[in-house]
Amino acid sequence: MNLRDSSSWILRALWIQRTRTLLTIVGFSIGIAAMVLLSALGEGLRLFVLNEFTQFGSHIVAVTPGKTETFGVAGLLNTTRPLSLDDASAISHLPNVEQVVPVVMGNAKIKIGHRARYTDVAGVGGAAVSGWKLELAEGTFLPQDDLQRPRSLAVLGHTLRQELFPGTNPVGEFIRIGGERFRIVGALEPKGEFLGTDLDDMVFIPAGKGLQLFNRQSLMEVDIFYNPRSTSTAMAERISRLLIERHGFEDFTLVTQDQVLATMDNILLVLSLAAAGLGAISLLVGAVGITTILMITVTERTAEVGLLRALGGTVSTVRLLFLGEALVLGLIGGICGVLLVIALLLITWLFIPGLPIALSPIIVFGALGIAILIGLLAGSQPAARAARLTPIDALRAE
Amino acid sequence: MQLYDQLTFNRQIFLRHRMRTFLLLLAVAIGVASVILLTSLGEGARRYIDREFSALGNRLLVVLPGRKETTGGAPPIYGSVPRDLTLEDANALARISGVLAMAPIIAGTTSVARGSRSREVITLGTTDAFFRVRKMDVGSGARLTARSQTEALAICVLGITLKRELFGSERALGEWVRVGDRRMRVVGVLEERGESLGLDMRDLLLIPVRTAEQLFDSPGLFRVIMDIAPSADSARIEQKILDTIGHRHDGDQDVTVVSQDAMLAAFNNILTAVTLAITAISSISLLVAGILIMNISLISVSQRRSEIGLLKAIGANSKQIKQLFVGESLMLISMGSLAGIAFAFSLIVIVTRLWPAFPLWPPVWAVPAAVLMAVLTGLVFSITPARRAAALDPVLALRGLQK
Repeated sequence: MNLRDSSSWILRALWIQRTRTLLTIVGFSIGIAAMVLLSALGEGLRLFVLNEFTQFGSHIVAVTPGKTETFGVAGLLNTTRPLSLDDASAISHLPNVEQVVPVVMGNAKIKIGHRARYTDVAGVGGAAVSGWKLELAEGTFLPQDDLQRPRSLAVLGHTLRQELFPGTNPVGEFIRIGGERFRIVGALEPKGEFLGTDLDDMVFIPAGKGLQLFNRQSLMEVDIFYNPRSTSTAMAERISRLLIERHGFEDFTLVTQDQVLATMDNILLVLSLAAAGLGAISLLVGAVGITTILMITVTERTAEVGLLRALGGTVSTVRLLFLGEALVLGLIGGICGVLLVIALLLITWLFIPGLPIALSPIIVFGALGIAILIGLLAGSQPAARAARLTPIDALRAE
Repeated sequence: MQLYDQLTFNRQIFLRHRMRTFLLLLAVAIGVASVILLTSLGEGARRYIDREFSALGNRLLVVLPGRKETTGGAPPIYGSVPRDLTLEDANALARISGVLAMAPIIAGTTSVARGSRSREVITLGTTDAFFRVRKMDVGSGARLTARSQTEALAICVLGITLKRELFGSERALGEWVRVGDRRMRVVGVLEERGESLGLDMRDLLLIPVRTAEQLFDSPGLFRVIMDIAPSADSARIEQKILDTIGHRHDGDQDVTVVSQDAMLAAFNNILTAVTLAITAISSISLLVAGILIMNISLISVSQRRSEIGLLKAIGANSKQIKQLFVGESLMLISMGSLAGIAFAFSLIVIVTRLWPAFPLWPPVWAVPAAVLMAVLTGLVFSITPARRAAALDPVLALRGLQK
């Protein structure tokens, strides 16, 4: 039996039982759609988070004081091993280092006349504007002067500016931050949140001033932006050697952007897979549907199979015919499922345009591949049953 | 036709098509089991967090230095402020009526060394009240003494991992360790206990709060945690805390109070939402099973054409025929549901045996909801086939002809 004959046989068989075929395809395509949709959601989330992390570029090394590997918190705590502004300026003299941003964060009361607002204060260096990709709405950012001799200058985040200076230009005005007077030199465009920290409701002051204000000896973090010509391992090693030389031993933690991304990517990949797995349950039920229907079909068409065998059809022909039927059901179900998802996504995008859903070709073709595979698996048992029929018995079944 | 007759009738059909029946049961069972198992996961996570929190007693207030105006935003986590929250402030807070115990915390990282072995750990400067508030105890030795509230004693309590790293299996009590640039005597070792609210209690050093002030050269408290009386009104105490701090800080109420109830409620809301979303997703599989049931019923109707004709010829009316087919679906659904429930619960029991720490158990509504959903899909999807069967013309049907 050639390909054309067998395909027309399969299609006719499916067409004769239209209702049955349709329902099977509907069930299976809902399963596929559930899986595709959830994978797309997981993938979208993954891309969103990765994007969030790479928005500052990927050539970054962060140094925090202390050697404990407590992801994130260690820098906030007190330490007996401070990371100083001197360390930051020493790092900035290393080759291939483009920018160094010392960071100390805190919380203080901002006052202008009778208006007051408690908010986050970021003590940073002048390089933060380019390093953190901040955009100025008004004035200039903090000047890139000597870290050790900070001036009382401040830059307002967008929300803070709206609250304290609604409708007026704040540049040149004086504000009090925790009792100290600062001159405003600039205001920022909206930037949004980063890892739960609202960068708009924040005032930026020189790191040295921040250390004084909060009575701390140690910076919380030093961000080092390096030249893309250098590698993260080479940079990490060079910084590590310098700091060990300065401190006597290794009392700091170095995290490169690559490490962070690799860790995040792993976690998110697991999340994506879990989401796909959740969708796969429905697909499993859909597969059971295909098996059931084909089982019934085989029983109903026993006589037909007998005739085919009597006319010289081989065992493998019979098996291939039924497998083909399963495959077509799976494929059409898969295509319908994908189309269903695309339609759903288009509708969703009309209402919620910002939703992080990424329907990549990998997911689409992966889903079609899985659909075909599952169709074949579901069809294998009925096909084997059909192939086992002996022609005589099968013919007699009429 | 009596119920008994109908059951026998359907049983015969199921036996005649064993394979088909088995596969249908499988489909329904997968759907029901997945709903139950997935809601159990969500509920388990909720219970786990609930338990973590209630292990601390459910009346806990945390005072953080700093404040933010944005409502609903994250509390100020940095702990660095121009005017420190000091031990004196904390002592004033402890005098508020309704506060049973107050533990000030100065947090930092430092290295702890004994001989050539050294380890960098999170160090908490606190008082004896810390043990009471966090509902924990030492495994051996003594807690920090009451004198640690006022004096910079050179004593410390080690977490169990820290003890093992520095002393191995040797006795640690009474020995001296070097903490930062000071020498301190080990008076106790914490009992074996895992992570609690994100803090690894095994790799931890506890020292008196006054000692920590000196060690880190800063009077600023990182947190103040307090236990309040079960009968006390927590909103009133929160207000009292703000007032007290306002008095002491020249009118600036520059602290944030977070109550355990509020934290727990936030977690609960998130996890309930996640559980509901997961339930919705897993019930898609029930929908697919429903479509399968409809498909099979339709096939069954067309195969049993003559049988239906006979039934009608001997006096069965349309309603009875409908009942017969809907009943068949319902029987399948209930058996499938039972199998699904049995499977889900045996898996849950196995998992809880293997990991007793995680309280995996479905919420009360999960089983009824799953069964109800299954029955509803069964009903909805068997209506069309049942109608089709009931509408058959007895004469034509008996002859096995199409209409």
